Amino acid sequence: MSSLTETNRLVGSFTPEFFAAHLASVSHLPGWWLDRKRAAYEQFASLPLPRRTDESWRFATLAGLRLDGYCRPAPVARADLAHAPVELAQSGQLLFANNRLVARENLAAGLAERGVIFDTLHHALQHHGDLVQAHLLAQPVPPGAEKFTALHTALLDDGAFLYLPRGVDLPAPLVVLHYAHGAGAAVFPHTLVIAEQDTRATLVDCFRSSGADRHFACGRNDLHAGHGAQLTYAAAQTWSRETLSFQSNATVVRRDARVQSLNLHLGGRQSRHESHSQLQAPGAQSEMLALTVAHGQQEFDQRTLQTHQAPHTSSNLLYKNALLDQAKTIFSGLIVVDADAQKTDAYQSNRNLMLSDDAEANSLPGLEIQANDVRCSHGATSSRIDPEQEFYLQARGIRKGDADELLTFGFFEEVLSQLASEALHDSFRDLIKAKFRK
Amino acid sequence: MSLPPDAATLPPPLDAASPANPVMGIDQAAGNFSYKMDYEFDAGTGLSEKTVRYISAVKKEAPWILEFRLNALQQFLAKPLPTHWATPDLANINFDKIRYYLASGQKPKRTWDEVPDDIKRTFERLGIPEQERRFLAGVEAQFDSEAAYSNIKDVVAKQGVIFANSTEALREHPEIFRKFFGKVIPTGDNKFSALNSAVFSGGSFIYVPKGVKVSHPLQAYFRINAENFGQFERTLIIADEGSELTYMEGCTAPKFSTSTLHSAVVELVALKGAKIQYITVQNWANNVFNLVTKRGVAHEEAEIKWIDCNIGSRLTMKYPGVVLKGRKARGEVISIALANDGQHQDTGAKMIHAADETTSNIVAKSISVGQGRSTYRGVVHIPKHLKGCKNNTECDALLINTNSRTDTYPAITVRGDANSVQHEASVSKVSEEQIFYMQQRGLTEGQAMSLSVNGFVNDLASQFPMEYSVELKRLIDLEMEGSVG
Amino acid sequence: MSLLEIKDLHVAIGEKPIVKGLTLTVRSGEVHAIMGPNGTGKSTLAKAVAGHPSYTITSGDVLLDGRSLLAMQPDERARAGLFLAFQYPSEIPGVSIANFLRAAVQARLGEGEELDASGYYRRLYAKMDLLQIDRKFTSRAINDGFSGGEKKRCEILQMAMLEPRFALMDETDSGLDIDALRIVADGVNALRRTDLGVLMITHYQRLLSYIVPDHVHVMWDGRIVKSGDKSLALELEAKGYDWVKNELVSA
Repeated sequence: MSSLTETNRLVGSFTPEFFAAHLASVSHLPGWWLDRKRAAYEQFASLPLPRRTDESWRFATLAGLRLDGYCRPAPVARADLAHAPVELAQSGQLLFANNRLVARENLAAGLAERGVIFDTLHHALQHHGDLVQAHLLAQPVPPGAEKFTALHTALLDDGAFLYLPRGVDLPAPLVVLHYAHGAGAAVFPHTLVIAEQDTRATLVDCFRSSGADRHFACGRNDLHAGHGAQLTYAAAQTWSRETLSFQSNATVVRRDARVQSLNLHLGGRQSRHESHSQLQAPGAQSEMLALTVAHGQQEFDQRTLQTHQAPHTSSNLLYKNALLDQAKTIFSGLIVVDADAQKTDAYQSNRNLMLSDDAEANSLPGLEIQANDVRCSHGATSSRIDPEQEFYLQARGIRKGDADELLTFGFFEEVLSQLASEALHDSFRDLIKAKFRK
Repeated sequence: MSLPPDAATLPPPLDAASPANPVMGIDQAAGNFSYKMDYEFDAGTGLSEKTVRYISAVKKEAPWILEFRLNALQQFLAKPLPTHWATPDLANINFDKIRYYLASGQKPKRTWDEVPDDIKRTFERLGIPEQERRFLAGVEAQFDSEAAYSNIKDVVAKQGVIFANSTEALREHPEIFRKFFGKVIPTGDNKFSALNSAVFSGGSFIYVPKGVKVSHPLQAYFRINAENFGQFERTLIIADEGSELTYMEGCTAPKFSTSTLHSAVVELVALKGAKIQYITVQNWANNVFNLVTKRGVAHEEAEIKWIDCNIGSRLTMKYPGVVLKGRKARGEVISIALANDGQHQDTGAKMIHAADETTSNIVAKSISVGQGRSTYRGVVHIPKHLKGCKNNTECDALLINTNSRTDTYPAITVRGDANSVQHEASVSKVSEEQIFYMQQRGLTEGQAMSLSVNGFVNDLASQFPMEYSVELKRLIDLEMEGSVG
Repeated sequence: MSLLEIKDLHVAIGEKPIVKGLTLTVRSGEVHAIMGPNGTGKSTLAKAVAGHPSYTITSGDVLLDGRSLLAMQPDERARAGLFLAFQYPSEIPGVSIANFLRAAVQARLGEGEELDASGYYRRLYAKMDLLQIDRKFTSRAINDGFSGGEKKRCEILQMAMLEPRFALMDETDSGLDIDALRIVADGVNALRRTDLGVLMITHYQRLLSYIVPDHVHVMWDGRIVKSGDKSLALELEAKGYDWVKNELVSA
């Protein structure tokens, strides 16, 4: 009996029956993928839930990680969604709700002819199996993610697939929307981007709840930037305030390629985000940015890994959190410089703006350096709004509340201004504004 | 000298001709050392309740201390090694082969001729006085410092200062020391504090009365005897209201310890307005696990400053901490670590803020030479609803060779909007330009490298007492030899 | 015609008294200069009048047209017509000058009153032209990475936009080379009007060659110990502060 209880605790709602029902609902999948899914489910079911002694879960509220009370959501039509359009000029859009594609805007003229594929993962598994197999869930994510990565692999239903053949330069961002709809809905969003040599593209992932229901989200994105590719990945997470969310990222940066990622975290009750950039060849650059506005009793747990595997690579991480009310944030980052990765430039910075006396910020900025000819530094600060800046603005006649708002947005601006697209910058800024209005 | 009552039940001494060195705890047959042993009091190897009872009996301790030890032993045995965060190298400690107690007055004997030449040269170049060399090399059982010790003890006694070893202090002044003993660092704080609590011997217990400012630094140096340079010393310093004390331990000469495990506990209590400065310079032999727990409690407007320099050892794990318990208390850790080939310096600091307007400062610099590895681990904790607390942390790592390694693992928790915390860390190497410039002025590459490294730690080294900083500089020069080319 | 009256003002930082009974009246259209050696309380005076929270006014009063400023928040004082040009202006990354000035101008409008954006920019660009400031300046974050001269010009630009009744200029010449000083001084002179009163705080006579004051006061140990016209500044420059000190001692 106790072992049954233990099993129940380990899998929660994601029972073998849940998994069987999922498998029964999918069709035309390649055998290698089905095998991986079955193995992943076994792994998920046997791995323990995070424990107090797990360094990779240090400071996290483990009591919040219960896996019960969720369900396989019913299919939903686009008309049923509380949907707000994304105000951006776009090269194409895929809209998923409850793990299934419900709407799409086709690629801008001429792109498909040049070999760009922007379609569902389901479609890609059937028609571009080798490409998918080489890149789907193929890269490691930071330690601690094992159980939830296994769960994602087992229950991944559909997601976005983007393939950019050599030399393609996308004029406008591609947008992927992932909706969860209905009480208890469990969703497993996925975005896979393969950018071949000398391509340039921006992809925007939007994670949204339709309504205020409680959801479970366990998502992943895999980004591969080939030789000289320039990839911008921006994600806006606005799950409902009741959602438990796990999201991981694995980025591979090849020779002279550059990946910029910006994750905006606004929603969810407890949200964990894991991000890993691997700089695999000389000239590779990764810029990892994140902005979090935590209020109420929200908890945001961000774990990052910058792995320098080759000489002459650079990475720059800037994670900023603004904390209100009783909110809690955790930032745990690690820069790893391998023994032969000389001439590495690696930076990591976590800045916490404390806007409440009850908020809690935890920082664990880490370095593991095995090469000596490197420039590496990290910094972490936690403090309130600078009183001198506040006074300066007040001395110009700006009321205290307005001064604080200006300064808070100034705090975010350092990150947002890194986005080359002004429209994207403005749309993210508006999302933050909307959260502050509430 | 009569044997303690249960001595007959102790395991027999090992055969002195055995190729394994029982005192070292690991096989050193291939090493440079070989010497005969002749112990007066000896708890044998391995750790059991018997060992603990034996130590307590030899020391003629009060029953509450024996109870304290036995409880600690249980906690030590129950606790796993902290390898979920610390290095797996800890698992290589063979607790069964360690000798947990050697009485004073007895030391393994060897002749000066048997001391390896490179060690003799090191002493020479460090300018260690002849007699100290003999002691440090293990040639002499005891360094004749009793006269100097009695002298300093008498001087401070005139001010009402109590300066005694742990056994004497707990026996003669329990009313003063019992209150704080094991309170700053509870037995179960970690596996090694539990170990120390079970088998401690030696170390200094000091009480400074209200308002007394001890003008000269007290030094463990004056207290050299077998116990003091032992494995499990226990130190407790209580600075009563408004008093001031500087304490220094260790010396920069390499210590050819006869044991592979050193696990001390140091507790400091600074009552209202008191100031304690605790200075450590340690240079352990390459086979030593140096696992030390050091913590102080600073009451209102009190100040505790740890100045800590770690060189040598196979693995050092040491994170001096300050619990800032009273309003406006201040805590500081200044730390220098140098890890050479085969060495891992895993050091850092803990600052636990527990009252308003408390401030803490951590400056840690490490140098990794060859395949040496230095790790900084830190905790800064500012809990709920405190106001005006500040922490500033700065970690700088210098990597000398292409395969040198450094890690940084701080953990910072801040609650509320009325406190501020800042952590900065950087990694660098010695600038080629700088080396070239100095070479162009006629210095060898090695000399230039030494100058650079000394420059890197200079702002911290200058906070050490003069004789320590001079020795530190010489030591860095020695360590840097052979690091280039 | 407006009046800024500082009456027997005492200011402390923590427990330490810095300004020890200072009285001074500035009228619209007048330019006053307060000179004095370092540490005499000049900057403290400016910050305290502007309402900086680190400075405690222990007694005395500051009145603007008869109304005491002391109970007001710093922003209320600013909107009442007081402008402090900082000796060390804050650097505020992420907040652009355009947004910031817009918020400051908006704050001066009545409830529900909306800023006329095109009018605002017209006015802003006109002032920038006047101060020879490049248009690109406005998209930069406030003082972030500015040179000393840029910071001071940015202060004068704000003063021009906010049209205060009284300006307290704290060591405006510090950190400026001669070219930058000339530009800043020209800017201030361009803003001199009959409805603006200026109180300049300076250690050196240098600035006063470019912005000629109507009245000069010498401050010593928290008080004004000598007042005169612009010739006093020249005399001070020639004889040094020891001259004042010696006079004080002999008196």
